[in-house]
Amino acid sequence: MTASLPLWPVYIDDFFGGVLMIILAVAAFIYARRLTRIDQENVLWIYIFWLCTALVVLAVSRGVGHILRFLLVLSGHDAAWNFLAPYSGGINTMAITAVAVLTFYYHSMQRVIARVQTDARSLTRAHDALTELNQTLEQRVEERTMELRLSEQKFRHLFEGSKDMIFFCDSQARITDINDAGVNLLGFEKTDEVIGRSLKSFFLDQEQCDRYFRILHDQGHVKEFEIEFARRDNSRLYLMITTSAIHDDSGAIQGCEAIAKDLTRFKEVTDQLIQSENMASVGQLAAGVAHEINTPLGIILGYTQLLEEDFAGQSEVFDTLKTVEKQTNICKRIVADLLKFSRNTVEGIKKAADINGCLEEVLAIVEHSLNMDHIYVQRSMSSGLPRVMVDRERLRQVLVNIINNAHYAIGVEGIIGVWTSYDPEFQEVEIVIGDTGCGIPAKTIGRIFDPFFTTKGVGKGTGLGLSVSFGIIKDHNGSLEAFSPPRQQQFLEAGMRTTFHIRLPIRPEGAHDA
Amino acid sequence: MWIRKNFTQPAPDTGDVAHRFLSRRTIIGIVAAATLLPATPALAVQLHGAPEGLYVHMLAHVFYFAALLFLLLILKKKPPGHSAAWRNFRLALVFFLLWNTDTFIVHWLASRLPETAFVGHSLWAHRLAGPLTPTRWIYYLGRFDHLLCVPAMFFLVLSLRRLCRETESRPPTTPGDGP
Ligand SMILES: Nc1ncnc2c1ncn2[C@@H]1O[C@H](COP(=O)(O)OP(=O)(O)OP(=O)(O)O)[C@@H](O)[C@H]1O
Ligand SMILES: [Mg+2]
Repeated sequence: MTASLPLWPVYIDDFFGGVLMIILAVAAFIYARRLTRIDQENVLWIYIFWLCTALVVLAVSRGVGHILRFLLVLSGHDAAWNFLAPYSGGINTMAITAVAVLTFYYHSMQRVIARVQTDARSLTRAHDALTELNQTLEQRVEERTMELRLSEQKFRHLFEGSKDMIFFCDSQARITDINDAGVNLLGFEKTDEVIGRSLKSFFLDQEQCDRYFRILHDQGHVKEFEIEFARRDNSRLYLMITTSAIHDDSGAIQGCEAIAKDLTRFKEVTDQLIQSENMASVGQLAAGVAHEINTPLGIILGYTQLLEEDFAGQSEVFDTLKTVEKQTNICKRIVADLLKFSRNTVEGIKKAADINGCLEEVLAIVEHSLNMDHIYVQRSMSSGLPRVMVDRERLRQVLVNIINNAHYAIGVEGIIGVWTSYDPEFQEVEIVIGDTGCGIPAKTIGRIFDPFFTTKGVGKGTGLGLSVSFGIIKDHNGSLEAFSPPRQQQFLEAGMRTTFHIRLPIRPEGAHDA
Repeated sequence: MWIRKNFTQPAPDTGDVAHRFLSRRTIIGIVAAATLLPATPALAVQLHGAPEGLYVHMLAHVFYFAALLFLLLILKKKPPGHSAAWRNFRLALVFFLLWNTDTFIVHWLASRLPETAFVGHSLWAHRLAGPLTPTRWIYYLGRFDHLLCVPAMFFLVLSLRRLCRETESRPPTTPGDGP
């Protein structure tokens, strides 16, 4: 017995060790569970949790085994212990294996998760980048939209507010858009009425139209091209147009954009200027000629009268001399007229006069002869016209001239209309004399005020009537215009073919100085 | 370890004692296990199962050993932290490793000890008989395996307690965070 070792210390160690193992394992399990509760998705905690679970199983099965064996064997139930022992051992083996498997498994999980994590991280990065891109995109789109809107507003404003005509055409030269100024210039009221119309339909002159489109096609633009358009009421519209063609990617013309300036008024003014220039030069010429002719005419007249005295008894010679004297007097009158016209210096006395009264005086003289040819005068005089500073004598001359022309244009049977009105805006009195005569062709209407322009036969007219009248009205700071056909609806309705408009300012500048 | 002891323990004939135990204490688990057992004598089952069970058990220890070594390695390669908690955790693993080695050696030595190495009939009288060769000494000392596994468990608890405190004092980590 001396060379043997007691086993009871081993059993004591097993017993208390088993108890301690159970307590510690349960404690570890509780902590592990707490860890998983705090952070449920941490694999490390999950692994530790299952490790501790397996350890609890191991500790319990092992510890309970130790304790039971101790108790059972001590109390003499060895057989019961023999029966339980394999279960305990089996469970131990399983628990140990489980712990080992978990450990290996944990590592693979770790790698899978690391992989998933890097994937997730790169996904997050991509997502962040996308989000940021999206945000900046949104912001940029917003900014650009804003810029576009502002720009669009600016151009809209320019387009709509412009006093010049701005329009766009498609490839078929149909108007696709036009601003209000353009619509008004063309004599329409609504944009819709103009849109869709062909640009070509507005051209008065086909040749001009062809030239315009040819230049546009060849050069891609037309710069400051002067064109004549027909308004809706067929009146003439002078435009200076600048056009650029719009090309598509392939270079084909898609349409054009154009801006056109209204030159009608400008044209009229320049025409009048040219007119007065002409008249001035002709006037100088006439004055010179008149002056030179006046002297020999005076001498002819003087000698004729002397001869008349000498041949007073011989009626045949005397009659011839009388004819010479008469014709010489006519010449003198013409020369005097010419001088009057050219010098314009024949400053009559301007007095405040009633225009209606003036007209009535003239009509009283001519109406009789008009009626003989079945021409009747239609009066539409507005009462209460302000008085106008005029040279009555010379104004009467103008009115007679115009009425005579109307008479001649009508021939027999017709109406001469006379209108008077006051335009408070310009402080002008307007006299309109219209007739139902032959009218003035568009070709010649620009020249009727030219001196010596006449359509009457040789010897019948001098062509000075209107130019003299023009000079007189100019002298009153007024204006004299002719329209054929008339511009205003009311004259058209009255059947007028031609209207002459005299506008006289109620207080002509310089009238006081004179 | 238990299986081996099963065999090495002198097993006095206490069949009726077992009957008494079972009739007196009707622990549900035991009854269930007993009803599942074949009607052959318990001894016969153990004879057949014993070597297999022992080998499986010893292999499990080897497996466990390998797993612990592996875990220690990956913890070293990619330490999840450097706090005292993780030091304790590693210490626990080292103790488990030692315990494993110890139990394996004890199992192996026990399987080589003859039946006669154990003497004595009552629990208190059990002794490891001589001659006390170094093998028997190693076996005897190795039997105090709780001196290794209790510290292992103790360090584990210590480590987990610290980890709990650490984790509670900072916000939860992202999913799957770890070594
Ligand atoms: N009311 C009218 N209708 C049609 N043509 C007109 C009218 N008034 C003038 N004209 C045209 O204008 C031309 C110039 O007129 P203007 O009075 O200057 O000269 P005239 O009448 O031809 O000659 P004169 O006045 O010396 O007899 C006329 O020849 C005529 O062709
Ligand atoms: Mg005339």
